[in-house]
Amino acid sequence: MSDATDAVVLEGVSKTYQLGDQPVAALGGVSMRLPRGSYTAVMGPSGSGKSTLMNLVGCLDTPTSGRVVVDGQDVAALSDRERTRLRGREIGFVFQTFNLMPRLTAAENVALPMVFQGVSAAERELRARQLLDRVGLAERANHRPRELSGGQRQRVAIARALANDPALLLADEPTGNLDSATGRAIMSQFADLHRAGNTVLVVTHERPIAEHADRIVHLLDGELERVETIDEPRRPHAGDTQ
Amino acid sequence: MNFEESLRISVRAIRGHRLRSFLTVLGVAIGVAAVITFVTLGASLQADVLGEVAGDRTPSMAVSAGPADAAPGPSGPRQAVFTERDVEEIQALDGVAAVVPSGDVPVAGLAFEGQTLGYNQLTASTPAFFDYRTAAEFSAGGPYAQGAAELVLNEPAADLFEVNVSVGDRVAVVRPDGTRVNATVVGLLAASDSPFGGFAIPRVYVPTDPFYETRLESPNSGTQQRVYPTLTVVAEDFQRVGAVREGVLAYLDGESDARQLKPESYEFRAQTAEDVVDQIRSLLDTFTAFVTGIAVISLVVGSIGIANVMLVSVTERTREIGIMKAVGAQNRDVLQLFLVEATLLGVVGALAGIVLGILGAVAATRYAALPLTFPYEWAGIAVLVGLLVGVVAGLYPAWNAARTDPIDALRYE
Ligand SMILES: Nc1ncnc2c1ncn2[C@@H]1O[C@H](COP(=O)(O)OP(=O)(O)OP(=O)(O)O)[C@@H](O)[C@H]1O
Ligand SMILES: [Mg+2]
Repeated sequence: MSDATDAVVLEGVSKTYQLGDQPVAALGGVSMRLPRGSYTAVMGPSGSGKSTLMNLVGCLDTPTSGRVVVDGQDVAALSDRERTRLRGREIGFVFQTFNLMPRLTAAENVALPMVFQGVSAAERELRARQLLDRVGLAERANHRPRELSGGQRQRVAIARALANDPALLLADEPTGNLDSATGRAIMSQFADLHRAGNTVLVVTHERPIAEHADRIVHLLDGELERVETIDEPRRPHAGDTQ
Repeated sequence: MNFEESLRISVRAIRGHRLRSFLTVLGVAIGVAAVITFVTLGASLQADVLGEVAGDRTPSMAVSAGPADAAPGPSGPRQAVFTERDVEEIQALDGVAAVVPSGDVPVAGLAFEGQTLGYNQLTASTPAFFDYRTAAEFSAGGPYAQGAAELVLNEPAADLFEVNVSVGDRVAVVRPDGTRVNATVVGLLAASDSPFGGFAIPRVYVPTDPFYETRLESPNSGTQQRVYPTLTVVAEDFQRVGAVREGVLAYLDGESDARQLKPESYEFRAQTAEDVVDQIRSLLDTFTAFVTGIAVISLVVGSIGIANVMLVSVTERTREIGIMKAVGAQNRDVLQLFLVEATLLGVVGALAGIVLGILGAVAATRYAALPLTFPYEWAGIAVLVGLLVGVVAGLYPAWNAARTDPIDALRYE
């Protein structure tokens, strides 16, 4: 059963999409737990259900069956409003496809989650700049997403995920568009967050990236194939590269 | 999310689609402008007409006899039933300052300086007629004298002839039987500003003696007397109009000649200036309501424009809505955002519409030579309507946006 020390608990979680009258099982009975302060990587071939899993943990979606418990609360039992609140306050989400607001500048994109939590404009501005600085994009603060490279957009997305100082950081292929140097910089950011006590869940198909985590969860066809424990995770410091 | 924040985001969204937003605003602006222009035009027309009718009012009433069910008013059917005896009796009633009889004299034409014009009737009355008539300003000369072969023309009538008629000229009145009566022009009436824009009807005024020849035997006195279709009864002051009206009607329904001369089915009526004003007002109200109704339709079209643009906007921004919700926007934040945007379009449209409407009203009243009477409360109403139009038109699209599922929205291409 769920433990107060677990940030996330999945119990027999299934997600079936209905395509016309054709059911598509994206996840079929996955059970796992993410203790608070843990660092977990998810690997698996394309279409194995990684993004589906992230959406469920990120309170964006609810399971067809089974239970998803985030921060001690059953996500399916929450009202839409409470779920949104949980998502906004406790969870930072880096999407596989960035999902930046095209009309907002990088700084405004980073500040967006704070808008909905009632943070004052001055405070938002300050924090957005700091976060962009942390991902090495301080001088791009006033650019719009279309004026940024793929990797830069990804870093804006990461900065935005950190905006509300989330206890749970979810990242779906955060280094997919980055060169190895920038990728390492990002991973050292995650390592720092992990050291600071946050729970981190990263989806990746790159083995070296996955090896930053304490353990790697392997998904295959929507099922949990195996959980691999990393004895000596890579733990770069933010100052290590660049 | 606070209001200021959503306003900022909305302004940005609107500026992101300048042309589309401009056209939407234009739709509402035209609607509001049309309403304001027409309402102002109606109010100005009403002020002008009523000002004219009620302007320098006298405490008078028009007494006539007509069918019971006929609409009252100057153009209703009437019969010459009031004898000279009736005129004298009414004159003697309490509170009556003057009784001015009037009637039409049928003629075949008018001749002047060798030119003969067909003309069908003269207005016969007493000199006092000019004292109690609104807008009877003499531009030259003065009233005729009773018993003299004199006449008064208004300017449109004087202009009928090739050679302009002026005071002192002699005009021949051609009777229906072809005989001519020469009369001296003693006065010219200034063309009154007709409330309906400049078509003043040519009129020729003559004294009842010697021109008015409609006579009947007075049932009470047994003598041949002139009979008139209309009497203007003037009360001594405004306070007594009501009492005089009662007195006149009581006399007429009692021992008057007129009661015996009128058909049984006819009724006497005494219409005061107040009544006329009321009638004209209700007529103009109907007219104003009608054109305003048409203008309101254009406002409805404008609001449909907003709804349409907002729906397109919501669809187009599905992904953005998904992103906002994914990073913590509540349904009501999204609802607020789109409502503010729609309302902003509506209000900006209404404000632009007020400016356009005032310009339109000024131009229209100037063109129609009316005094501008701007109904200020309508400017307020227009802003409220713009606000309402924005809210109502934006409600459904905004609600649609608010209940968008973030997962679906993020998947939307
Ligand atoms: N909304 C949806 N409707 C129908 N099927 C869906 C939907 N979302 C995902 N799927 C299906 O569920 C399965 C898992 O999808 P998911 O996006 O979780 O894969 P993934 O592991 O993230 O793949 P990738 O590595 O390519 O991102 C796929 O077969 C996909 O087609
Ligand atoms: Mg995926």
